Amino acid sequence: MYKKTVLLKINNEEHIISTYPNRTLLEILRDDLCLTGTKESCGEGICGACTVLLDGLPVRSCILLVTEVEGKEITTIEGLSGGEKLDPLQEAFIEYHAIQCGFCSPGMILTAYSLLKSNPNPDEEEIRHAISGNICRCTGYAKIVEAVKAMSEKGS
Amino acid sequence: MRLPPFKVLEPGTKKSALLTLDKHNKNLKIVAGGTEVVVMMKLGLSAPLYLMSLKKIKVLRGIRKTKNEVIIKSSTSINEILQSPLINKNFKSITQAAKLLAAPPIQNRATIGGNILQDTRCLYYNQSEFFRSGLKPCFKVGGDICHAVKGGKRCFSVYQGDMVPSLISFGSKIKLEKKDSSRTVLLSDLFTGKGENPFSIQPNELLTEIVIPLHNCNYGSSYEKLRIRKGLEYPLVSAAVFLSENTDGNLDNVRIVIGAAASGPKIIENASIYLKRKNSSDEDVDEIANISDNLSEMVNNLSVSAAYRRKMVQVVTKRSLQNAFQDLNKGG
Amino acid sequence: MEKYSLIGKSIKRVDVTSKATGEAIFSADIKLSRMLVGKVLRSPHPHARIIHIDTSKAEKLPGVKAVVTALDTSGDKWGVFRYTQDQQFLPTDKVRYVGEEIAAVAAIDEDTAIEALKLIKVEYKELPAVFDIESALKPGAPLIHESYPDNINIHININIGDIEKGFKESYYLREDTFKAPEDSYFQGEPYAVAAHFDQSGNLEIWMPNAGPHLKAKPLSNVLKIPLNKVRVRKVRIGGAFGGRSEISPADVICALLAKKSQRPVKIIYTREENSIATRQAHSMVATIKTGVDKEGRVLSRDITCYMDGGAYSSTGPIAVSVPFLCMEQAYRMDNVRYNGYRIFTNKPIRGMFRTHGRAFACGIDLQLDMIGQELGFDPVEMRLKNVRKTGEYTSTKSYIASCGMTEAILKTTEKAKWKEKWGKLPPYHGIGIGCNSVQTGFPMGIRGGSQAFIKFNEEGGISVITGIVDNGQGNDSMIVQIAAEELGLDLDNIQLISADTEVTPSDPGSYSMCETFIGGNAVRLAAQDAKKKLLKIASEVLKVSEDQLDLRDKNIFVINNPEQSISMSKVVRMALGRGESISGEGTYWPKVDGRREWVENPSGQLSETFSFGSVIAEVKVDPETGKVDVLEVTAAQDVGYALNPKIIEGQFEGGVAMGGQGGMLSEYVLWYNGRVLNSNQLDYMVPLATDMPKINNIIVETVDPNGPYGAKEAGMSVAMSTAQAYCGAICNAIGANIKDFPLTPDKILKAIEEKGKK
Repeated sequence: MYKKTVLLKINNEEHIISTYPNRTLLEILRDDLCLTGTKESCGEGICGACTVLLDGLPVRSCILLVTEVEGKEITTIEGLSGGEKLDPLQEAFIEYHAIQCGFCSPGMILTAYSLLKSNPNPDEEEIRHAISGNICRCTGYAKIVEAVKAMSEKGS
Repeated sequence: MRLPPFKVLEPGTKKSALLTLDKHNKNLKIVAGGTEVVVMMKLGLSAPLYLMSLKKIKVLRGIRKTKNEVIIKSSTSINEILQSPLINKNFKSITQAAKLLAAPPIQNRATIGGNILQDTRCLYYNQSEFFRSGLKPCFKVGGDICHAVKGGKRCFSVYQGDMVPSLISFGSKIKLEKKDSSRTVLLSDLFTGKGENPFSIQPNELLTEIVIPLHNCNYGSSYEKLRIRKGLEYPLVSAAVFLSENTDGNLDNVRIVIGAAASGPKIIENASIYLKRKNSSDEDVDEIANISDNLSEMVNNLSVSAAYRRKMVQVVTKRSLQNAFQDLNKGG
Repeated sequence: MEKYSLIGKSIKRVDVTSKATGEAIFSADIKLSRMLVGKVLRSPHPHARIIHIDTSKAEKLPGVKAVVTALDTSGDKWGVFRYTQDQQFLPTDKVRYVGEEIAAVAAIDEDTAIEALKLIKVEYKELPAVFDIESALKPGAPLIHESYPDNINIHININIGDIEKGFKESYYLREDTFKAPEDSYFQGEPYAVAAHFDQSGNLEIWMPNAGPHLKAKPLSNVLKIPLNKVRVRKVRIGGAFGGRSEISPADVICALLAKKSQRPVKIIYTREENSIATRQAHSMVATIKTGVDKEGRVLSRDITCYMDGGAYSSTGPIAVSVPFLCMEQAYRMDNVRYNGYRIFTNKPIRGMFRTHGRAFACGIDLQLDMIGQELGFDPVEMRLKNVRKTGEYTSTKSYIASCGMTEAILKTTEKAKWKEKWGKLPPYHGIGIGCNSVQTGFPMGIRGGSQAFIKFNEEGGISVITGIVDNGQGNDSMIVQIAAEELGLDLDNIQLISADTEVTPSDPGSYSMCETFIGGNAVRLAAQDAKKKLLKIASEVLKVSEDQLDLRDKNIFVINNPEQSISMSKVVRMALGRGESISGEGTYWPKVDGRREWVENPSGQLSETFSFGSVIAEVKVDPETGKVDVLEVTAAQDVGYALNPKIIEGQFEGGVAMGGQGGMLSEYVLWYNGRVLNSNQLDYMVPLATDMPKINNIIVETVDPNGPYGAKEAGMSVAMSTAQAYCGAICNAIGANIKDFPLTPDKILKAIEEKGKK
């Protein structure tokens, strides 16, 4: 195997990575770029903890080959709060107690963020469907839905 | 879990992709959305020397309409299909299947071609290398036993693709291309019904198009999927129904396809002879449902028992029929 | 003026901003310079003798820096209790379950580590294995541990009153057997350990834990280094639910690799490893015989329970006891006999689980429903007749200082419109109630108390130092909230130093539902200690007696004349000027009976107080598929006092998901000769957002006389009561009683069909 040079656009920054091709985006994010906000909870694309946005859409970074995302816009949780100020959705998650242990939260927040971008006024059913692929073991999802609903009402 | 070593090939055109496929065939696996191939490699179930990415080949994506058909290119994502007003208007059950497939983040990457060619699954097969290390190899990995069925003489792994039943019910065809030729076959002909080797596709063939005929008549369709939770899961059993009526208002074509009941989709042949009238009685519907039950070859190799899943074939078929009738009666 | 300025308010949690931004560091996120990747080699056999381990090829592989086996340990056996010492962390003689640790490597990257594992050659001699209670108990069954004849690991026997007399006097008797397979924790965060030894031979180690102090001592014992050289560090933890309490082989292995390689090492478990090589919940068969009088009051009960404990003892005595104890707290049981058996099998190790013994709890409650059906009482009446009240003693002699069970039942029945619905719902709609009670800790010897320190800086800000750990439930916030309340500070003025065994004093840990009660009390006492010292100085300056002063908004003021005040920073500086430092110390030891022991002496005050909960669930069953739609859940719990209502609601809602939606409908472990078939979240069905019903939360406050501000616990009771409520509701919906849990669609369908045949 030979290393490849891959240009990654992550959180509006360009990274030129030299890597063996048999790496997932999640591995590159966590190990090479030290962006540990994106988590691994199953490694098989089931649980959603590894969710990042690819050209604005939520995808499973643990089953995404790094060679497949060259040139695409990748947003990780670190990219949501441009520095000091939190994104309103992050604020809502905090305000509505939608975070307990926090392990699923980065993936959950990004999935909800993407939903609100494409549908600023989702109803409860639409919210639950959008996050149906993000597993949370702590909250029972109730306050996560409340937080996203609050953003939905703000948007209307 | 780590990926095994492989070389990535990224052909820029369909032609070069076909050449590459021809050159490496058995040693090569295709990456479209990657939602299956990457998992299989992590589990140690697949270790191709080459991965061929289709990402650069734009002609393999898109949905277009001709006079008599709708053509979906094989690398079109499930999400694109879901968002397509063309598909939703003409092929309701396909949209339904796309919505029920896994979860939205998977839909964003999974492609229709990849979903059609999804390998059959079994609790004893889709496991890590560690799990399988203490067990004798089963039929699907090239061994000679079945762990799901004691003394079993073949592989009972289940075909759980969500898109295929609806596609077949509409009479879809697929185009398979290779270096110097191509063939178009009925989608239903793709399936061998054998768990060890579910698809009659050559290692140097590429699935490029799904061709769905348009219907100039009143018709209805439905896709019904059974799963335990309200999301995420593969179907435990599914049923796609297509009903069309002729100008006299009588039922013309009835196609019922049962999914996740065997190693390939099960088609109820000549279903129309059981449903003569437009508003068929409950008995007729029950009879069809009974037939669907007889077609299932379920064993205890998923997270829910075969006995239960077998019972549900009838229920799911019946419900799909009822919904398809409703769709039909709403008017074309 | 409001009673409290911060307590009782749903203030923002102090730990969630970093979780929302991704900055929070969990064990797998830890990166240290020159860190190695650790990987564990596991047994592929359920039961086998280890003949020989050859690590020579692995050691020679370039990039491998250390390989460890049992030869790197003393071979001593460890146990949570002195009488359950049966586990070597790397076994010397045999392996007892698929997945047990055999050897481990540390290498420069993951690929090298995996390759090295493949080069370790282990010669096994396979032994016959047993995978269920019945087989394990059969005469002649293979012995899992030579020192435990018949594979009986624990036997708990509790005998109160005269059960035979009670049965004789009973108007109605029934005996039923309830069973449930294993469930599994599926914490969001898979287990991970990072460890390194510094230049002075101090071990620094990070791992998800429910009590760092309870990890440190066993590590010190096993590694044979003094306790003060073991530093279990604070780290963000992605859930525990009872499964991360005691020391894990991964902790020891990681430390050994770090020692041998002289470099930091990190081991990250896969989801599969988390499922098979940490802990699972016990499977159980519970036979319950109950006799009642004509009014449905329980006169006598005889319970025999068999629990499949897996291959090692773990917290066996606790896990066997708690299902019974929860029920004897919730319900009056004047004459009761309990025989609880934990049986060894060649399966992964079982521990304590948030929904402790769903077969037991649902059995007790469902049986009450069945008795009610016979006698003409509805489930709520049956509960009201039998639940505990304040001032009673449990059968094993714990005094109940505060009990809001009746209040919880009345409030849930009102909110859920029980009277309008019971018996009046359409076909296949059902409603059911579940009641439970949870202890706040238990006697833990020298580790049963918590100590906290508070130190001031010259600006009047503080650091709170406590051993309390936060697994995600909000304990960090609780600490800061209490300190801020007592000392009239803003949350911003408080630094929290917690759950670090180098710095923080001992604390029992979070798994026994005691952090609020024991840890919170210690923090409150420490703050009050500091407050006294502040007020003493302020009283001199303001020339009033100390009892006329209070603190708020960083000021100390005269209660009757708030204009008369002095800033806290000024007081602190005055003290420093005098050569006095202001600090506070608080220690809380719950008043429990130290002689009480799980097996030898299961009698005496178990914990100082208990929570009580009642949940009502309304469901709709699809009679063709057996699938359950949960329409609404109303959850009430006597939490003593709600320090932070939204945090408590979050615990309720999470409990509904885990105990009810998952625990009663879809969660079960599937097996193949000792191998877990469903080790990921696809095939082990944890609830999704689309599955969850509407949840009404009712916080009942009895203001416990001993809890901090009256608080007790809130993390566990609802999880259990919900499982029981779902069970009752589903059986009500279909008009048939199912005793085999969880109530999956196939079982529900079968029960409907069998009822139809009758």
